[in-house]
Amino acid sequence: MSRFLIVVPPLTGHLTPLRPVAARLAARGHHVVWAGAGRWLRDRLGPVAEIHDCVPASFTVGAREPGLRGLAALRFLVEDFLRPLATAMLPGLRAAIVRHRPDVVVTDQQAWAGAYAAAEAGLPWATSASTSAELCDPYPPNVHDWLRGCFTHQRWVADPRLSPHLILAFSVPALAGPAATTSPSVRWVGPVPQDDPGAWTSPWPTGKPLVLVTLGTQSTETGARFLRECAGALAARPGLNAVIADPGRVVGPCPEHVHVTPWVPQQAVLKRAGLVICHAGHNTVTESLWHGQPLVVAPIRDDQTVVAAQVVSAGAGVRLRFAHATAAHIGAAVDTIRADPGYAHAAARIRSACRAAGGADEAVTHLEALARSTTLIPEVTR
Amino acid sequence: MTTETVLAEIGDLIREVLDGYDLGAVPITSDTSFDADLAFESIDLVVLGTLLAERYGSGIDLAGFLSARTLSEIITLRVGDLAGYVTARLEHA
Repeated sequence: MSRFLIVVPPLTGHLTPLRPVAARLAARGHHVVWAGAGRWLRDRLGPVAEIHDCVPASFTVGAREPGLRGLAALRFLVEDFLRPLATAMLPGLRAAIVRHRPDVVVTDQQAWAGAYAAAEAGLPWATSASTSAELCDPYPPNVHDWLRGCFTHQRWVADPRLSPHLILAFSVPALAGPAATTSPSVRWVGPVPQDDPGAWTSPWPTGKPLVLVTLGTQSTETGARFLRECAGALAARPGLNAVIADPGRVVGPCPEHVHVTPWVPQQAVLKRAGLVICHAGHNTVTESLWHGQPLVVAPIRDDQTVVAAQVVSAGAGVRLRFAHATAAHIGAAVDTIRADPGYAHAAARIRSACRAAGGADEAVTHLEALARSTTLIPEVTR
Repeated sequence: MTTETVLAEIGDLIREVLDGYDLGAVPITSDTSFDADLAFESIDLVVLGTLLAERYGSGIDLAGFLSARTLSEIITLRVGDLAGYVTARLEHA
């Protein structure tokens, strides 16, 4: 039995792949403690999970302007969220390590304090790469230098996004591409599908090809125009059925073959879908490809542009410009994918790679090996 | 070559980069922001850099121009900044 401390930022998509991993660790008799924003974690993990709150109530984040994209969004993310979050979490994480005595710290790529606290304490730490975008160092040199300047604790940790001991990448090389595979500590465990939250009953009696439209959890305001354009494109294609996830209720009335709903049981719909239109969020893309669905990707910000490029390079989808795409562009992309079986074939290849990658069980195998290891790669040699 | 001429030509190159996407109500002027107005992505800047070098010669080095700038300067980069750089380089060529 080993003891694991799992550190996450309060971001839904970053908790997603670690939940099944934590469940498998616990099922194999290991002790698991979560560290992060206490109440936020409690609401999501339920009353039984062991949670160490290490985000002080005084930590607040200014609202991100809805239109923020590109490098401006990256600067906001790093300077106004990740760096202050690391500073705020560090004292609580030090206390968590003293109290829970973990053998291994597992820290999300955006919870830098997990790496800092583990390295200070001389503990092995694993990176949870909830997106594969950072693994290929996607930034030009001056952006790279700026980012490095935002890492505190350089004496302990060269780069809190990339553990020298173990990086769990919840993707597969068939999608991420050769550029992302350079770090020797990366283990490609593939996507980790969530335990299905619910069934889905199709509102239509006939089995037309089904299109799912979703922009994830972070882009309700930003996505209004794009969602309406999607609705327009799909309304004009009565040969299809469509489910549009519209949490902000911004899409107006649609014809009978287009179902607009604030919440979608995504896993259940993905099983039945034939095509997904999304923002190229890493979880949505890998979950879609887990089910072998080709994609229309319209990246909004952050890692999404990198993930969208991966989808296109792998041949599994068509990319659109989120800011400028109209119903005509979206409709043409849907028609292109439906007309050329090569997209579905590429998606099926990635589906096979995902299912062979091992998922949560494979992640647990690597974490157990790290907990058993007695000789670590010293940080200073990197 | 005047800045106005260069500005108009860069506008054409930008439309080429955004191939197939109508900017609609967004005119390309010296005040147009690559990030906020055009929603340019890093790959678009790479493509624009290639087009600029093809049009004006290898003395126009967009990657070098960008690498001399801070993150804030890249975020606020406007078409006029690029037109000014190209004009100045052409004058010194």
